[in-house]
Amino acid sequence: MLTVAPPDRLESRSNLTFEALMWALSRPGDVRSLPEAGFESILETLVDIECTAFADTPALRARIVASGATLADRIATADHVFVSTIESAEIAEINCGSALYPDDGATLVAAVPHEGQRLRLTGPGINGLIEVRLALPPGFWAMRELLCSYPEGFDCFFVDGASVIGIPRSTKVEVL
Amino acid sequence: MSLATLTKDWAATSYGFLDASAKRELRRKMLKAIAVPGCQMPYASREVPMARGWGTGGLQVTLTLVNPNSVVKVIDQGADDGVNAASIRRFISRVSGASETWDTLEATIVQSRHRVPEEIMRENQVLVLQVPNPEPLRGVEPNISIARQMHADADYGKLWLTLYEQIVRKGRIMQGAAYPSMVNGRHVMTPSPIPRWDVPKLNMSKHLTILSAGREKRLYAVPPYTRVEPLVFSDRPYLVEDHAALTCRRSGVSGFFMNELPQDGGGSVFEVSDSNLGIKAIDCADGAPDAIGDTWYRNGEFSA
Repeated sequence: MLTVAPPDRLESRSNLTFEALMWALSRPGDVRSLPEAGFESILETLVDIECTAFADTPALRARIVASGATLADRIATADHVFVSTIESAEIAEINCGSALYPDDGATLVAAVPHEGQRLRLTGPGINGLIEVRLALPPGFWAMRELLCSYPEGFDCFFVDGASVIGIPRSTKVEVL
Repeated sequence: MSLATLTKDWAATSYGFLDASAKRELRRKMLKAIAVPGCQMPYASREVPMARGWGTGGLQVTLTLVNPNSVVKVIDQGADDGVNAASIRRFISRVSGASETWDTLEATIVQSRHRVPEEIMRENQVLVLQVPNPEPLRGVEPNISIARQMHADADYGKLWLTLYEQIVRKGRIMQGAAYPSMVNGRHVMTPSPIPRWDVPKLNMSKHLTILSAGREKRLYAVPPYTRVEPLVFSDRPYLVEDHAALTCRRSGVSGFFMNELPQDGGGSVFEVSDSNLGIKAIDCADGAPDAIGDTWYRNGEFSA
């Protein structure tokens, strides 16, 4: 009889992280818990040799290189973008895919406190509407609205400590 | 950086059969599929110890989601005890240590071929549907590059035309299973060959649905609370199968989707297709407490 090897630490963490990310994106605005604070668990869950990733801190850049992924020197060429501070001007060049290949649109993972500006979200995954608070620079949502011409667009995970809020391109965001 | 940081300890098998890079790819694609509901995302579709076309797409998604705390239900045309369903369920539990169940209400992951269970699925459940042909446009456009362009342009005129032709030729829409449905008002998907009876269960549902075609190497998703509207003409309402008045000959339940069993000498009898619902009804009749949860259809009418 075959005995099941228990999942190793990496697999358990990736499985938990993915579950948090999957439900965060399925229910925009819901706060989900990552197994540990920071970007590292997200990076090891999603990024590998098939990816091109961008990061704005040396430590994360080293992790990207170690994962085998290509390190992007500009946000425009990356399919996974990890930023600790959001500079709207730089994010504006993020890859939004095309109507032919919407899956080319990038995944943005950003450290954003879950407080501050009130936002009202509607769209797939939301029963009616939901309100969240996210401290993003003014102009970010207007820029996103301009870039995300559904089904083109980019998908966001806003990480605050070990909490994550997902906002896919299909969500309509109203700044209150 | 040393060699030790780039390698990991030897192990006889990967947890959940799939290797880590296969899971990472599926995870990336599943996130994109959720972000663009109903849009088909290509993926590599690894080899699993099962022939392509027997549920390998659904199996790969389940193997990616599963962990030792998962409770897995697998159904084939509504039945938990079909050979295909039983083998897939046993394989999943053997390679992951997850628990097996027949009960829709107990499961965290429900993998299904061609049916959606009759009991309403909860917020934290995932329905994984096995898809033989993910491309709703295949019948009208065999060239997949052109079909992709048609999806990009939201050009679904030819699908409407096939439905119109069915009405003109037969007097009603003949599409029995895999009824083309508009997701989030943008992408038309095939909901896998579930009967028309089951399509309304995907509309504004509480659970997450992931549809995966292993042979065709594509997956797509319907997030919770997402509109799934079967293509219908405004003067021709969407009709589900006429099973509301049928009664299961074994369990006595009525108002659910039935399997028809033709009899020698003409006529047929019916058995409820969601076999575990029938088992619960029989147990209840034998004196056990009523374990049937809320159902999407009540008295044969969709009411959720």
